[in-house]
Amino acid sequence: MSKQIVKSMTGRERVLAALKREPVDRTPICNPTSVATVELMDLVDASFPEANQNPELMARLAATSYTELGFDTIMPVFSIIQESSALGCKIQWEQKDNWPTVKMREPIWEDADDIRIPSDLLTHRDTKCVLEAIKKLKKEYGDEVAVIGKTMGPWSLAYHCFGVEQFLLLSLDDPDKTKQILDKLKEVTVAFGVAQIEAGADALTLPDHATGDLVSGEYYERYLRDLHIELVERIPIPLILHICGRTVDRMEYIAQTGMAAFHYDSKNKPGESMDVVKQRISLIGNINNPETLFSKGPESVRQEVYRNLEAGVQLVGPECAIPLQTSIENLKEIPNAVRDWHKEHTN
Amino acid sequence: MGETVNIGRRIELVPMDLHFESVTLALYCQEWESTPAYRVHTYSRKEGIQERIEFVVRAMETLGGMEQVGDGLLRFPCGAGHEFACRRVFLEACKQDPAEGIEVRPLHTLDKKSGLTMVASGFGDGRYRVTAEGEGKDPARRVGVIVNGLMKLGEMLEVEGREEEVGFACGQTHDAMVGLLLVRAPNVRALVREQEDAASRGMLAAPSQQR
Repeated sequence: MSKQIVKSMTGRERVLAALKREPVDRTPICNPTSVATVELMDLVDASFPEANQNPELMARLAATSYTELGFDTIMPVFSIIQESSALGCKIQWEQKDNWPTVKMREPIWEDADDIRIPSDLLTHRDTKCVLEAIKKLKKEYGDEVAVIGKTMGPWSLAYHCFGVEQFLLLSLDDPDKTKQILDKLKEVTVAFGVAQIEAGADALTLPDHATGDLVSGEYYERYLRDLHIELVERIPIPLILHICGRTVDRMEYIAQTGMAAFHYDSKNKPGESMDVVKQRISLIGNINNPETLFSKGPESVRQEVYRNLEAGVQLVGPECAIPLQTSIENLKEIPNAVRDWHKEHTN
Repeated sequence: MGETVNIGRRIELVPMDLHFESVTLALYCQEWESTPAYRVHTYSRKEGIQERIEFVVRAMETLGGMEQVGDGLLRFPCGAGHEFACRRVFLEACKQDPAEGIEVRPLHTLDKKSGLTMVASGFGDGRYRVTAEGEGKDPARRVGVIVNGLMKLGEMLEVEGREEEVGFACGQTHDAMVGLLLVRAPNVRALVREQEDAASRGMLAAPSQQR
């Protein structure tokens, strides 16, 4: 891919080309989740939790991904709670130094019949915040970098609304009911996704936490593959599926969905992952968060970037939302390493 | 375009300052005249932040026996890095209430577990002997605990053949720093747990780990 001579591209052009596995001038540095840190919050005076509720603060903090770190993307949806908050889930908002989370021990629904999508789904403070932030970012940076939104998949929404344990047990006991729930919740995914496209998003991350530690690859095929194919058809923009953990056992199915890319975890080796997906889908990742970006130094970050580039991974970035205490020097090392690798491999 | 600065390697972080507007304070390691030096830094521009940084720097000078060199940098007079100990000095300086005075910690501390007073006495060459004074349980064992604590917190070295002594590789006296570490030495395990808890905040948990 990168061996062809390609004219110089903007970050946006680079990302969108890589999502289609087209030639790029260099590998894009992509953040499909979050690169917000407490130091960046101070820099732009936009801290958690307010930066998840106020579009001005959300946009300002998100922009640092490009203006400070040199990524080719801006992703304002730091957390995974925005639409669940609008659905009525209880949220633990936390403080500047921690993530807002859904109180999944206090589920709001017990049965598929309980599901009610509120009329203010897209005008609720926390969903509207995302839409307004995307509009602002598109206006200010839309020609330069790719603005990436996020819409949660139905499996993740089911965890939030029904509780992780309850939903997983239901999936074992009553597959029909489980599918009914997923069918209803996918409408939230579509509605919020389409609204973000209208607001100006260039691509959307679609986290759907059928994670390696909770469900098998077979589960993914049974419950989610066809549903994800449908989401690709109904949300007309490049979709980046995000699932944490060891996922090689489901990458074959993921590659069949038509998603533009899969944002993959460092528990999967770049080479083995590329071998499974066979250019049917782009891979994004997979710099380790807790051990490398958070705990080690730039040299280790560089090594992981190089491992991805050597394997031909199409877009490089952290494996998931980075720890809020991650150092700026480690984050800046990702673009530095990508640029150096390409210099070393020119001619 | 960018406003972040390249000021060396970040070695410690206080994500939310208890004493000033929840700003983030960081300690960076740089080089000054070929010796390790440290910079207290924040990206916050809140009004009064400069005074807050200056307070933390002064507290580190006093609590750690450090000195200011060019451009707000701090270092130990011996010229050695003592990085691990310096991180502890920074964390303690950030905890210090600005409304209270900053005082060098004494070279003795009450060991709550035994009721003994643990005393560190310097030899002037970087070595310190730990003794237990007063009435209390198991003094020899508690001296060992303190010695181990100082080795872990200050990266101090054991002195061959002398189980009650520890020393700095630089061979210089660091009374202020030893006084600071002495308070924490009886319960290093709790300190490590506290640090691990602090570090795990802000780490996004997988759905299976969330509450």
